[in-house]
Amino acid sequence: MLVSILRQGDFLIASIHTALDDTEMERFRQDVVTRIGQFRSRGVIIDVAALDVIDSFGSRCLADLAHMARFRGAQTVIVGIQPDVAFAIVQLGMDLDVHTTLDLEEGLALLERLTAGSRTGHSAIGVLGDDR
Amino acid sequence: MSVHAAGHSSGIAELDPLIRRVVGGRLRDQSALDDVVQETLARTMAARIRLDDGALAPYAIVTARNLVSGLWRREERSQRHLHRLVDRWEPPGPDDDVVLREQAEAVAVALAELPPRERLGLVAHELEGRETASLAEEWGSTPGAVAAQLKRARAKLRVEYLLALGRIDPPTPLCRPVLMALSGGERRRQRELEAGQHLLECDFCSDMGPTLLQSREKGAEDDVQVPVECDADVVAARQRAREVAAEVGFSGTDLTLISTAVSEIARNIVQFARRGEVVLTRVEDDGRSGVRVVARDAGPGIADLDRAEQDGFSTYGGMGLGLPGCRRLMDEFEVTSKVDKGTTVVMTKWRQQPN
Repeated sequence: MLVSILRQGDFLIASIHTALDDTEMERFRQDVVTRIGQFRSRGVIIDVAALDVIDSFGSRCLADLAHMARFRGAQTVIVGIQPDVAFAIVQLGMDLDVHTTLDLEEGLALLERLTAGSRTGHSAIGVLGDDR
Repeated sequence: MSVHAAGHSSGIAELDPLIRRVVGGRLRDQSALDDVVQETLARTMAARIRLDDGALAPYAIVTARNLVSGLWRREERSQRHLHRLVDRWEPPGPDDDVVLREQAEAVAVALAELPPRERLGLVAHELEGRETASLAEEWGSTPGAVAAQLKRARAKLRVEYLLALGRIDPPTPLCRPVLMALSGGERRRQRELEAGQHLLECDFCSDMGPTLLQSREKGAEDDVQVPVECDADVVAARQRAREVAAEVGFSGTDLTLISTAVSEIARNIVQFARRGEVVLTRVEDDGRSGVRVVARDAGPGIADLDRAEQDGFSTYGGMGLGLPGCRRLMDEFEVTSKVDKGTTVVMTKWRQQPN
């Protein structure tokens, strides 16, 4: 299994488990965008902790995914970018203009804040009355 | 950079009249002359990466000379053997056994010339299949340093073997070091020794030198070739690059930088040329070790290299970060391209940064 896309209440948690080539990466992007519509998700977590290389194509694909998701009414957070990979992205000159957090937990917390007010309210993760 | 690159490719082309003159003095037959010139250019091109620029012309001349004498020898032999052309099978002659024994003896002599540690290391690595990592542990060294040592030992062994086989002592004290530098592909050392000049002056080395260089090309033990034709090959190329770089001893961050650069460059091949290859080589220079990536294709080439190497210039709606990005990821970076002929990218990362 190369990737998994799991529904978690209002959120989607999409994880990449191994190196993807360009075609697989594009299919993954497409699948996530399709699922957003299917599940009416408000937020998407993309877990890239398993990727040892994110080159210009990979970065662009992730940025595009976030952009497309926004058009579909969902916020996207990329989580788990490895320190070496982050360094390479900067050296390469990429500007990964998306929300990012260190790990899944922080990613979910950020999504909660980003989507506050637009939620349907039956998140398995969101604490009841979290709207404050 | 493109000026430099252009200088390189035209460097080979400029050799053409020179080689023609050298060969023309020895051969009458026009078609044979063309063949030899072409073959010389091809071999020089193939060996170029391992040669200092100053040694290019001498190497070409020596190669041409050898090709011509090889041609003569073949003609002479076919003349001599004409009468038994029908006899397609020859029984093993009494000399075959002797030749085999001589070769074995030559290997033994050559091995004996190596310092004991290099000899033991080489035998352990080549014959018993011990990893550089376990040797490194035993010697209290790093796998990269062991690999470098083994490589030098192999280069030395090649020279000593040829000397032992021919039962010759090199005529000048300079011969041995020059041959070693050629055998190991150490360009800096070649320059220091003025190897090109010596090759032209010394008949002995002019015979030996090309043999050593060519045997290096066949012994592709330190080259890893990855054909690149499709998306999946891009992933394969960058994974192989990570492996080779790890063997050289690069750290985690550098491994990522190198494989990212290889990914970019391999994608360019798929995107623009459809087919090509990435060759990964471990390189040594002045005590530093590194990894060299050569990506070549026979695609459409790049019309405007200066612009292609600028940030944000893209011909296909990408972000235009490919070439300039790779330059930032690696230590050395050079693009050579000819419209309709193809593109070659040579980039190197060194393990210790020169300060």
